[in-house]
Amino acid sequence: MTSTACFMIVSRNDIPIYEAEVGAAPKKEEAVHQHQFILHAALDIVQDIAWTTSAMFLKSIDRFNDLVVSVYVTAAIHTRLMLLHDSRNDDGIKSFFQEVHELYIKSLLNPLYLPGSRIKSSHFDTKVRALARKYL
Amino acid sequence: MDPVHSPLGRMLLDEITPVLMIISTPLAEETAQKNGLTFLEMLSPFCSFNNIDVPVRTASDQPYRLRKFKLRIVYASDVRQPDIEVARKRLKQVITSAGEMEQSDLFLDPPPIESVLNTSQPECMPTWFQYFNEELVRTVSFSDHEAFDHPVACLLVVSSNDEEPLSRFADMYNTNQLPPMFNDGSMDPKILKHFLLLHDKQNGSAEKATKVLTGMRSTFGLHDCRLLCINSSRDGLVDHQENLWAPYKSGASANQHLGGFLSSDDLDELRNAMQDLSSNFIIPQMEQRIRVLNQQVSATRKGFRNQIKNLWWRKGKDDAADSSSGSMYTFTSIESQIRVLADFAFMLQDYELALSNYRLLSTDYKLDKAWKQYAGVQEMMGLTYFMLDQSRKEAEYCMENAFHTYLRIGSAGMRNATRCGLWWAEMLKTRDQCKDAAAVYFRISGEEPLHSAVMLEQASYCYLFANPPMLRKYGFHLILSGDLYKKCDQIKHAIRTYRGALSVFKGTEWSHIRDHVHFHIGKWYAFLDTFDVAIKNMLEILACGHQSKATQELFLKDFFQIVQKTGKTFEVLKLQLPVIDIPSLKVFFEDRRTYASLADASAKESLWQSLEEDMVPSASAALLSGNKSSWLQVQTMVLPTKTKDTNVCVAGEAIAVDIGFRNPLQISLSVSCISLICEHSSSSEEGEKAETSFSTQRGHNAFMELSSATTLFTATEVDVSLGGGETILVQLKVTPRVEGALKIVGVRWKLSGSVVGFYNFQSEMPNKKTTKGRRKAKQSPFDNLSFLVIKSLPKLESFIHHLPKTVSAGDLQRLTLELRNPSEIPVKNMKMKISHPRFLRVGSPEVLGMEFPACLEKKASNAKCDEDVKSKASDKLFFFPKDTEIHCKTPLLWPLWLWAATPGKFSFYMSIYYETGDISSIIKYRTLRIHHILEVLPSLDVSFQISPCPSKLQEYLVRLNIVNQTRLESFKLHQLSAVGKEWELSLFQPIDTIFPTGVLMAGQALSCFFKLKNLRTTEDEVSSLEASEGASMRLNHGSNEPVFDMCSSPLFEFHRHERVCQRAYEQQEQQTVDFILISRPQRSNNSLEQTQTNSFDIAAHYACHCRTASTSPVCWLMDGPRIIHHDFSSSLCEIKLKITIYNSSDVSVSVRISTSDSIQPGSSSTSSSVLSANEAGWHDLSLITEMKVTSSISGSGSGIRRPTSPECVPPFIWSGVSSSCVELGPKSTTEVPLLICVFSPGIHDLSNYALHWNYKDVKAGESVLSGTCDGHPYYLTVLQHE
Repeated sequence: MTSTACFMIVSRNDIPIYEAEVGAAPKKEEAVHQHQFILHAALDIVQDIAWTTSAMFLKSIDRFNDLVVSVYVTAAIHTRLMLLHDSRNDDGIKSFFQEVHELYIKSLLNPLYLPGSRIKSSHFDTKVRALARKYL
Repeated sequence: MDPVHSPLGRMLLDEITPVLMIISTPLAEETAQKNGLTFLEMLSPFCSFNNIDVPVRTASDQPYRLRKFKLRIVYASDVRQPDIEVARKRLKQVITSAGEMEQSDLFLDPPPIESVLNTSQPECMPTWFQYFNEELVRTVSFSDHEAFDHPVACLLVVSSNDEEPLSRFADMYNTNQLPPMFNDGSMDPKILKHFLLLHDKQNGSAEKATKVLTGMRSTFGLHDCRLLCINSSRDGLVDHQENLWAPYKSGASANQHLGGFLSSDDLDELRNAMQDLSSNFIIPQMEQRIRVLNQQVSATRKGFRNQIKNLWWRKGKDDAADSSSGSMYTFTSIESQIRVLADFAFMLQDYELALSNYRLLSTDYKLDKAWKQYAGVQEMMGLTYFMLDQSRKEAEYCMENAFHTYLRIGSAGMRNATRCGLWWAEMLKTRDQCKDAAAVYFRISGEEPLHSAVMLEQASYCYLFANPPMLRKYGFHLILSGDLYKKCDQIKHAIRTYRGALSVFKGTEWSHIRDHVHFHIGKWYAFLDTFDVAIKNMLEILACGHQSKATQELFLKDFFQIVQKTGKTFEVLKLQLPVIDIPSLKVFFEDRRTYASLADASAKESLWQSLEEDMVPSASAALLSGNKSSWLQVQTMVLPTKTKDTNVCVAGEAIAVDIGFRNPLQISLSVSCISLICEHSSSSEEGEKAETSFSTQRGHNAFMELSSATTLFTATEVDVSLGGGETILVQLKVTPRVEGALKIVGVRWKLSGSVVGFYNFQSEMPNKKTTKGRRKAKQSPFDNLSFLVIKSLPKLESFIHHLPKTVSAGDLQRLTLELRNPSEIPVKNMKMKISHPRFLRVGSPEVLGMEFPACLEKKASNAKCDEDVKSKASDKLFFFPKDTEIHCKTPLLWPLWLWAATPGKFSFYMSIYYETGDISSIIKYRTLRIHHILEVLPSLDVSFQISPCPSKLQEYLVRLNIVNQTRLESFKLHQLSAVGKEWELSLFQPIDTIFPTGVLMAGQALSCFFKLKNLRTTEDEVSSLEASEGASMRLNHGSNEPVFDMCSSPLFEFHRHERVCQRAYEQQEQQTVDFILISRPQRSNNSLEQTQTNSFDIAAHYACHCRTASTSPVCWLMDGPRIIHHDFSSSLCEIKLKITIYNSSDVSVSVRISTSDSIQPGSSSTSSSVLSANEAGWHDLSLITEMKVTSSISGSGSGIRRPTSPECVPPFIWSGVSSSCVELGPKSTTEVPLLICVFSPGIHDLSNYALHWNYKDVKAGESVLSGTCDGHPYYLTVLQHE
């Protein structure tokens, strides 16, 4: 399990709809904004790369110091699953992304969920954290 | 782009140029100092030549012309590696001064990102970057591994005032004067020398100087000597058009007067001297040197043989001197010479030659593992490639290689790496590889925070200029750089970077980013005492519910600190704390509808309207009345058309607004002085609106205006404390004092006593429109926040005394309604309507004077009271007597009766209509609405079961079941009454034996039996008066308490309603009886006072429409002998029987009695099953089993002869007609004779007959038209007569 991992789902217009610190390391207050900054900046790279490849999983597209950003772009480019991590477990990250993507699709199917709005479901949250423990 | 004109090209042409070393005497310096300049500074402006046009030949004799040329001049004392600390200080100075310069737009709003993108590259990038970069590059000058900093010549300067100038030159010629680098072998001490005699014209004519010059020429050579005359201006006031020396003089202010003694002739001479020196001395000398070196290199290194030799030789040298990297190569070594050759070639812009030699050198250094030298050569290779504008990949590869190599050799190479990186980044930028350039800048940023900050900032600009622009990266790197600036106390730079980042992050949804940026920039602005901008930024982060509690506290603490520092209360239009919950906004006001309390106004308007429907004059009715102008006409007349849709309110009466305040934080907030912002405009006579108070602009004058506005209206102020995450609904009131128009504009509050927040409702209007569909339907008047204030009207105030919140079911209470009119104008024509007449009724005023339970007791004058009540309370609408007027200070008291009919929670709506005496007002009448929620708890569960008495026709057995459903209370049973004239009620046993305690404890159940007798069928007509008295029966044993009169006003009324209510369950008009049980609750567990007041409590329980269990309208009784002795041997026994049939219904019924000799086997079983379900009443006991027991004792066949099977002969047969029909009028009785023949002795059950009845006059809607009743068991014992 990685010590630092910050997972975010970014929707259209770069609006974050879900964020979670899933690392094993104790959560540090000042790190949260740094993680957001790194992930936010990495969107620039995603924007470039996403159109050049057909793969959904873009591994290690950006880095800041020892933190690496991996991204999973859903079929409709708008939604990007972003993970900031310090481990190199690519397979695990890929599986993590795939499973979370499935979860995300399930929550999209909820007729009461407005696409692009913040995901507030606690069920989703616990599932994501469980997946993070499993794969990362 | 031509590399020469690119920024890097210009930089290289500036920086990698020949160095001219200057050694001067103090007197020479003194001469220059007269102009406020050192000698070096004086020469500096003339060392750069843009079009020198010198013909040069390459090593291979190819001629070309040198256009741009620059000499770097340094004092001999400066020819050494710069001190790191000094360099650092100098760089810091550069940054600080740059920060000071850029104050102007620091406090403005950040420009929108679009405009940043549209501005051209140099405009938005700070100009001092280039200067800083140059300074940074200079910190690594004169390093021992490079040759382009080696002075190509030395200028010896002696003043003509010096004594014996020639010997001075000779002294300087001594190598001891040379900098140490010449002596440790890294530079060639045999440097070219040029001798300059400086003559100050103020010190006399040049004659002496020319004489000295002649001497010099003879001593040092003809071409190496020169005379320079300066200071020809006498007064020292020569004004130069442009300040030539400003860029070269450190710390010079722009208006400092420099070069005062230098006339234009002097300047020309200086310029000519330097040009001459360059073109005729330095360049040719360098060219010469290149040739010599090139020949040497060719001789030793070029060619196949030399290469093999070189390789071999190097291999041997391999392990010898690896570690001594520093002074491995002296100036005499071939490597150094190649380097000098290459650098000179580079400086003379012969890049081909330079490149070939760098290449040659790089392999050597690599083989020698002289990494620093190797890196330096690689770096130069990269630059040469760039200047040649070929092989970009090579160039980049070389730069990267150099950069890595520098980094690899550790701290010594750090600064070289920085320089290399700068050049590399510039190179990439020239080729539009901004992204890569940014990465390089990022890598340069090392441990020195200040340098890193600048590098990161440059990196951010690279991202901005990348194509497509990478704004997020731009923002991120600006933030990183800003943090580093802050670390180095460069606050202005920090603010500048954050300000740039703000334009990227403005309005971002990334909450932590937004908070971080706004919080820090806000803090820094506060540090610079720019509080308004600071607060503006801090305001953005106040609603930081997503942050941890500690962060929230920090944010708020800092915010309030800043606010405190300003020393004034800040006013903010859209303060985010606390959050205003706009959907919770509710406005309560009173026009013609007034409310007893504001909480009552929250009830639905439609409920009130339906309640008041027939009480309030409708518009059409008012118009029809016609005799005087109705209120509607007046209203349309008076109201201006534009205010037609506004609400009407009355001066002096408060308008209340409910607003929810939500605290999004986890820490508690104190919010004080919450009040409404209103706008009052009094309409003048002409009807045009004149703005008198409270301008719509909420500026700083809002507070001042408030005080003046108090005469027009008053607004309440509320203070609340909001806990973490709490939402509080605050009720604010505003009371207009003067007629006119009042508009509620918004709400104002004070956060923690220091910050005033405003919220404008109007600005939310478009927002509201989206939900209009729903809101409009519900509460249209609340959408509008403007009111027409009319002059004050009387308004009734009501208060209901002793109105409880909860009562037990059945409780009967007398309440007093108090109506007061605080105004001078009386009100009249009052009407009242109550929504739940079942629970609440208006009493008669005389009750007020009486004791409460006593007024219900039986009195002689009952009948009159009865009449009275009936006439008055016939409808839900209650008219107060015509002459009732409520004047000021004389409240009207009126009794009300409350009776809790059924358990549950009930909302009572009362509306009192009244008219004002004032004709001139728009509002003619008003209604006072009272709303009360009453919770009724279950108390006693009373049920009755009536079954007919088999032995008597008009008597019934009543079983009363009472269960006390309460937990604590006990009840004392008082009285049971059967309502109706025809009933008589009596106990079977005295109550003392059935129910000795007399008090029903909590949870206790009781059942007792009564005999109920119908008096009417006994044909003797009793007077109604007596009947009603006879129906009540006391249940308490003290028996000194009086019996309550069931016909007294409230009890009768409630009973009447109860009858109506309970009828809903009844299907059929039947003979029914209504019971009223009256009990006295005993709440003894409370205080003394409590019990005392409660001793007057009465609880009444009504049970209406009780009737017998059967559905048949007829009842009958078989009459006849029970025991007969007969001698069966003589004859068969004929027995006469008689059936008395009573029709209890109001319709005539025809009854047919059919007898059958055989019995349907199912009949008895069905009846028993029915009865087994029934608890009470008369049961047909299954005598069969009982008799069998007795028969077993007697042994003989004297059991019941029930005809069990059809084939055996029945012991008796019905004789006479098998069926007879009779007709029965309503409530009438008839007798039918019957006859049976008994054949054998025994006990016979004569129940094998049936009564078929059907209604004669069939009424529509009756569900049961006919039916069949089986006969009652009638046991006839026939004994053998001995």
